[in-house]
Amino acid sequence: MASRLSRFIRPIASTLNHKYGGASSRTLGCIQRFASFGVEGETPKKPTVASHNPLVRQRLRDFGAYIAECMPKYVQQVNVPYHDELEVCIHPDGIIPVLSFLKDHTNAQFLSLSDIAGVDKPMLENRFEIAYILLSLQFNSRIIVKTYTDELTPIDSACSVFQAANWYEREVWDMYGVFFANHPDLRRILTDYGFEGHPFRKDFPLSGYVEVRYDDEVKRVVVEPIELTQEFRKFEANTPWETFPQFRQIEGDVQKPMNPPEEKK
Amino acid sequence: MASPRIVQQGIKQVKPLMSVDRTEARRRVLNLYKAWYRQIPYVVKDFYLPITVKMGRDKVRELFLKNKHVTDIRIIDMLVIKGQMDLVETANIWKQRNHVMMFFKDTVNPKPKDFLSKFYEGQE
Amino acid sequence: MKGMKVKTDSPVTRKAREGVMEFLLVNHPLDCPICDQGGECDLQDQSMAFGSDRSRFTDNAFTGKRAVEDKNIGPLIKTIMTRCIHCTRCIRFASEVAGVDDLGTSGRGSDMQVGTYVEKMFKSELSGNVIDLCPVGALTSKPYAFTTRPWETRRIESIDVMDAVGSNIVVSMRTNEVMRILPRLNEDINEEWISDKSRFAYDGLKRQRLTTPFVRNNSGELVATDWETALFDIAQRVKDANPATIAGVAGGQADLEAMVCLKDMINRLGSEVLCTEEAFPMINSGTDFRSNYVMNTTIAGIEESDLVFLVGTNPRLEGSLVNARIRKSWVHNEMCVVLLGAPVDLSYDYQYLGDSFSVLKEIADGSHPIAKALADADKPMIILGSDAIQHNNGSLILDTVKRIAKNTKKSLNHPDWKVFNVLHRNASQVGALDMGYKPGMDSLKCDKPSLLFLLGADADKLNNDDLHGNAGVIYIGSHGDAGAQMADVVLPAAAYTEKDAMYVNTEGRAQVGRQAVSPPGMARHDWKIIRALSEILGVSLPYDKLSDVRGRLAEISPTFDRPGRVEETGFDNVSDDVTIDKITHTGATAPVVPALLKLRDFYMTDPISRSSLTMAKCVQAYDEAEANPYSKPEAI
Repeated sequence: MASRLSRFIRPIASTLNHKYGGASSRTLGCIQRFASFGVEGETPKKPTVASHNPLVRQRLRDFGAYIAECMPKYVQQVNVPYHDELEVCIHPDGIIPVLSFLKDHTNAQFLSLSDIAGVDKPMLENRFEIAYILLSLQFNSRIIVKTYTDELTPIDSACSVFQAANWYEREVWDMYGVFFANHPDLRRILTDYGFEGHPFRKDFPLSGYVEVRYDDEVKRVVVEPIELTQEFRKFEANTPWETFPQFRQIEGDVQKPMNPPEEKK
Repeated sequence: MASPRIVQQGIKQVKPLMSVDRTEARRRVLNLYKAWYRQIPYVVKDFYLPITVKMGRDKVRELFLKNKHVTDIRIIDMLVIKGQMDLVETANIWKQRNHVMMFFKDTVNPKPKDFLSKFYEGQE
Repeated sequence: MKGMKVKTDSPVTRKAREGVMEFLLVNHPLDCPICDQGGECDLQDQSMAFGSDRSRFTDNAFTGKRAVEDKNIGPLIKTIMTRCIHCTRCIRFASEVAGVDDLGTSGRGSDMQVGTYVEKMFKSELSGNVIDLCPVGALTSKPYAFTTRPWETRRIESIDVMDAVGSNIVVSMRTNEVMRILPRLNEDINEEWISDKSRFAYDGLKRQRLTTPFVRNNSGELVATDWETALFDIAQRVKDANPATIAGVAGGQADLEAMVCLKDMINRLGSEVLCTEEAFPMINSGTDFRSNYVMNTTIAGIEESDLVFLVGTNPRLEGSLVNARIRKSWVHNEMCVVLLGAPVDLSYDYQYLGDSFSVLKEIADGSHPIAKALADADKPMIILGSDAIQHNNGSLILDTVKRIAKNTKKSLNHPDWKVFNVLHRNASQVGALDMGYKPGMDSLKCDKPSLLFLLGADADKLNNDDLHGNAGVIYIGSHGDAGAQMADVVLPAAAYTEKDAMYVNTEGRAQVGRQAVSPPGMARHDWKIIRALSEILGVSLPYDKLSDVRGRLAEISPTFDRPGRVEETGFDNVSDDVTIDKITHTGATAPVVPALLKLRDFYMTDPISRSSLTMAKCVQAYDEAEANPYSKPEAI
């Protein structure tokens, strides 16, 4: 079935290759148009695992190099890590310029901010990683802009570029305690009033520090230091009679990096 | 080799949160304290708190003094920011009574220390 | 064959295995979701590892898969015989390890069935082990049916206290409830088996429990109260009592920590009257030497022996796994067994010498042929049941047996081999004797105690006549049994699954049991109760943490400091030579007969198993089975 389909597609794909391939290798537009057709001679082996499209990846790398050339001061690293999506690592000072560039550049047009994600990596000096996930509706493409900060260094709010950043940044502030400078309305969004700490930090215990209950004597909800009166639900995955231990270790379990991250500076 | 690095670390440039020097940070703290101090009568009234204004102000003082050992300007700023947010939440009555009374921890019983009281309580 | 290469993981082998799995599964129901073995099923594991990912089974004739009628083999084992894959492990266990030829097969090919031929109870004290053996869900536990899945439970390694063997167990716990008890491998003690009482009496942990302190009021009723009141009530009683006659009794399941705390507290109050419920004659060197009261050869040592002489014991019911070990040796090492006592069914053949004391005396004099057999044996063992020496002429029996052991040792080729062994019945006994408790309550009865502390003492061996006129009785224990009945103040304590505690088994091996669940209601750990009480009484014990108590135990005896190991007993020659007391044979002596004779007696021996519904059902099923004309009644 797959082979028959590719036979059918092949002439079209090759035409397209002629038409767009030579024009501008740096624009994102043509990459995505290719992506929708697949590549000649490539037959998917395992349909459940997302296959890589080498051509798309090469175009993404080129586009990444283009971004890096445009803003050498801010862009520190450009990767195409796992999926066919570009990842741009920038200096925290460059948030506004880089996001503006990606939003307004004709060949990018990342007009939509899908999400801002925080990651806590306590072993690093700059422990928080902030990832801006942008969507270009024009080119059906996503890009991840990553930057970093620590507990006390403020980073610029993206609200002036994307209105959508407002609540996302409040969420990151609430969950990780990253301060966004020049945010129009930075305050808690998920936690309860009076909640102390930032729950998504890795050093925040799973159980929290306090527990809440209604006290009948003072007629209000009270907050008290946690006492774990209930047991943690813990499942044991091992069979009690471990019969074939060697069959439980999945061979080749070690995940190899698909692509060594490449320095592009 | 080692000493220049230490020196470098000592004079490491950091991005200020708000204040650039200690005087400014101190001014911010005092301003926040004053704001809380003036807000307390309204807080007690608005939330029907079972406390006097004096008790409220004492608690504000206690909570401010809890951080008196802090010298890092950026940490002071961060505490001021959080205190300011708290004040806004309180003054706008976004909070409820129990949120304000959280500061007082009036239902928290101290944990038993000696063997016998631990035994009666049934705690390890 | 020389130079042959065996490939265990080639595509051909894999395919062959897959084929075998497919054949097994053709006759096996796919009811894993409702099967109790699900999650710990060998067949499940193997079909995961070796099987195909889809079935080619089509029921061409629309007759359904093979189906087999379930059998009723008693209140412990649930059978779903359709799931049976005819591995015959249960049959082999029953006939080889348990020594009960109850199980077998009938029919051939796909009509083969595993069963008891006629419907009857699987009468064995080790029957529960076939549940662990069964690779599929054909034999599962009846009390555990449909309660938990193995991955939901937490497994805590502990020690069994139903007998003095100290079997290693795993307690499966979920939501602060003991869901089941399984054996834990320990080749030195229980191998991989446990007795049915250890395995199934756990439902007794939820019944008849003391969950709050009680104090007897003026009208003679026990009234529930709080800890403070109960402890202060005791303080008043202690104040009124004569300090020198305050006594303590350790019951059969008391742990080392509680016993050492009770001993230290009563000593600090100024009394030395501390004893165990179980007696042991204090003749000659008494309990001064460890070799006088432990199983010197160890349980694993039975396998080295070539002649075992059992005196007044029924090891099958008093220490089921000791008996399993003797049977193992009898089967594989051609060991001879000689029994003096009741003619009980031990699951193997033995030479029976009757139950008369005079035979024992003849052996000691050397006039009996067994005396020669003992002398000729390479490594003979004499196992004396502690039940036989409970009554008045116990000291006589002990003295005679010791003399036999001494005579036997004279002609022994192995100077290190110890002949004399005692098989205890209570998990606490050896630890209590190690600690300096006096065995038996004769001395206590002489003293007429003015205040009595019972530490889980439920054997009902005392009554109010043994005490001083208005003596108070304080019971510390987990179950409302005989001890709580006679008590004036009842303090609720933890059962063995609810505390971190140490026990010393009949070999003298200290072992640590871990806490699986928390004590119910207001019940507290035994040693903490005594520690708290000591503070109220003004004789504070210096132990705040369990580690402090363990430190104190290590001070008393190094054996307590090395859990899991047996310290070899020394001075056994010296102890044989100590003959202070002249014991004279006065008149006729009662027959040397143990108390537990039939399997019926086995099920309910201690407060936990007496409270257990499962054990009660076993007794009932036993009676029904005895009435069944098709089942062979037990010997005796």
